[in-house]
Amino acid sequence: MARLRSLEELERLREEILKGRDPSRPFIAVNTRSACGLAAGSEEVAEGLREEMEKRGVEGKVELRRTGCNGFCQMEPVVTVYPSEVFYVNVKPEDVPELVEGMEKGKVVERLLFQDPLTGQRIERAPDLPFYRHQRKILLHLNGRIDPTRIEDYLAEGGYRALARALFQMSPEQVLEEVKKSGLRGRGGGGFPTGRKWETTRNAPGEPKYVIVNCDEGDPGAFMDRSLMEGNPHSVLEGLIIGAYAIGSHQGYIYVREEYPLAVQNVSIALEQAREHGLLGEDILGSGFDFDVEIHRGAGAFVSGESSALMTAIEGRVGEPRPKYIHTAVKGIHDKPSCLNNVETWANVPLIILNGAEWFRSLGTPGSPGTKIFSLVGKVNYTGLVEVPMGMTLRDIIFKVGGGIREGKRFKAVQTGGPSGGVIPEQHLDTPVDFDELTRLGSMMGSGGMIVMDEDTCMVDVARFYIHFLLEESCGKCIPCREGLRVLDRILTDLCAGKGREGDLRLLEEITEVMSKASLCALGTTAVNPVLSTMRYFRSEYEAHLRGECPARVCKALTAYHINPDRCQGCLLCLRNCPSGAIRGEREVVHVIEQERCTRCGICYATCPFGAVEKLSPPVVPEARYGVRVKKEGRK
Amino acid sequence: MQYRCVSCGNVWEGREWRSACPRCGEAVTGVPHPTPKPEDPEKLIQFLLSLQREKGWLPREVLQETSRRLGVPLARVYQVATFYKAFSLAPRGRNVIRVCMGTSCQVRGSQMILERISNLLGISPGETTPDLQFTLETVNCLGCCAIGPVMMVNEKYFGNLDVSQVAKILEAHR
Repeated sequence: MARLRSLEELERLREEILKGRDPSRPFIAVNTRSACGLAAGSEEVAEGLREEMEKRGVEGKVELRRTGCNGFCQMEPVVTVYPSEVFYVNVKPEDVPELVEGMEKGKVVERLLFQDPLTGQRIERAPDLPFYRHQRKILLHLNGRIDPTRIEDYLAEGGYRALARALFQMSPEQVLEEVKKSGLRGRGGGGFPTGRKWETTRNAPGEPKYVIVNCDEGDPGAFMDRSLMEGNPHSVLEGLIIGAYAIGSHQGYIYVREEYPLAVQNVSIALEQAREHGLLGEDILGSGFDFDVEIHRGAGAFVSGESSALMTAIEGRVGEPRPKYIHTAVKGIHDKPSCLNNVETWANVPLIILNGAEWFRSLGTPGSPGTKIFSLVGKVNYTGLVEVPMGMTLRDIIFKVGGGIREGKRFKAVQTGGPSGGVIPEQHLDTPVDFDELTRLGSMMGSGGMIVMDEDTCMVDVARFYIHFLLEESCGKCIPCREGLRVLDRILTDLCAGKGREGDLRLLEEITEVMSKASLCALGTTAVNPVLSTMRYFRSEYEAHLRGECPARVCKALTAYHINPDRCQGCLLCLRNCPSGAIRGEREVVHVIEQERCTRCGICYATCPFGAVEKLSPPVVPEARYGVRVKKEGRK
Repeated sequence: MQYRCVSCGNVWEGREWRSACPRCGEAVTGVPHPTPKPEDPEKLIQFLLSLQREKGWLPREVLQETSRRLGVPLARVYQVATFYKAFSLAPRGRNVIRVCMGTSCQVRGSQMILERISNLLGISPGETTPDLQFTLETVNCLGCCAIGPVMMVNEKYFGNLDVSQVAKILEAHR
């Protein structure tokens, strides 16, 4: 491929690609370009499809396309047939022949369609699914349509048009002005106005200037950046080049965490293709603008996602934060002006340039325009990536898009913002989601993880989980964070183990206050949020733990298992499954758990078909006598 | 760009991303294997990552050699190698098992998966079997939260796991 040297050559190439494609020709999209699809076994399905299509000789008529993830991860492997957008879920390799046959005859395979769990109705097309109906996809809409390893697919969908417009029809000042007008705010969590950040770097003294993509997505429970990087890396790259042009930078970095090998792969391919096509390197599209990008793989450290830490890591040193009296936008990599933005922020830029700031402002709320991708996980019916306009209420996201709580249980709280965020209880479910509202509730937007918790979740245990996570990830440079987390972890672990002491809650509050004021970087100052927000909304649970009781019956030391003699049918199922041999019983005789041997693993609770195993907290078990015959009345 | 097969470890030079390895023919995705420029001290982390991938761990001699080639003090090489989780200063097994312990996997029972593997191999997280076949590790999040519990063996993902599948997966890698 020869380098493109002008706008005309880019458009000519696009026309050629489009001419070779018949828009009415169907193609089948399988998600084999993202980690969750692969984990669910999509590669086997794709291989099966390829063989079957070859066998039937239809490979000329139908194209098999390997795409990124379309968000509904739970239903993977998903097969989508375009242009009709027929959506097959949980496809297995053995379903493939039937699927191809159906396609050949133009028939829909009813059995593999998504079934609405409420109405039992089968839904044929993706846009009609309840999961997708309430979403507004502007960033993710290409993810399930294009092969991220082929630049042609991105170009055919109008890719790099925004870059061409910025380079040939706008001055850097105009690009900057447009982004400022759009009101785009950083999607990495803080919500700092992107345009202002760009301007700071642009006006800061010193050359060279750097632009950086932050794909060090370390929050447990968040994967939007991974999905964008794997599924549509060119959109991020295009945004980065436009930003570099506005800021006056000629060197960019893409920082990807090491746990995402597929993202590294796909973005490497994208960079190479962009270079070949003259969209990167010297004299981009003949405009005279030079810019190139290097990939930096992170080596596994949560704190390296913090901007100053990330930049020290790029310099090849240990990724520890430094005091930020001077922002990294002014003094970053090698003390030169460096503009760091999150993956999702960069991906928004081409859309703003192409459609204008006005269009962007028409989405979302006045304070937080645009859409936001959330990873909706935990105890909801539909888990996956959802993109909704800012300002949608939490209730709508969880109950309309996410389909409500699993197994008809009761909603308890939703955790947003990862380890730096907090939990939001039911009374605040009608809060519109944007940067400012979530901060007001004591949580934060964060990068967009949304973990839904039901009545079976213990809030003290949740706080303990996050504090323990942060304790392991704290770099140890400043004392409030290093020592504060150690003490918080000890207190919370003791509480969960039933060893809480009088005065623990006051001590928790004191330590969190010091940490939030005195820590060096955001990891320490926000680390207190999981503790503070759970204490704010669920204080009674903390008090219960002090009394030796776990209301959600999660903490092992505060829970005991007991078999209800009125319900037990003497079926031997729990007995056979118990890994520690703690259950005594024989057929037709009420089983009894020997408390001394029970490890509280919960397998008996999960396997009992009669609901006879009960969890008790405080762990006081009624006297059980062995040898009682089962009651038959309960049996049907 | 250089690619490396995730199955047999073959490294090949290629321009196109390919789905099959030219040596073993395995239809698994190749992983980019950029050749590091050893003369640049800024590339210390990238250089160590490549070495880690190639050798599975970082012996003392390798760190000393790195220090010499990059002109970085040995103390700083050690600082980096001990700070990041991706590096290991002790030998690791041929197969590295990483069990996700993120919030979402946790609520779906990753603890039981971990305990099962631990029992089967007779090692705790962070340890390696004496025959150097397996290393067991935990990670905070693999980003596959919707299909948890998830684990990774080398570079292959296994999702929607349940305890009964674990033994079979391990056996296949032995």
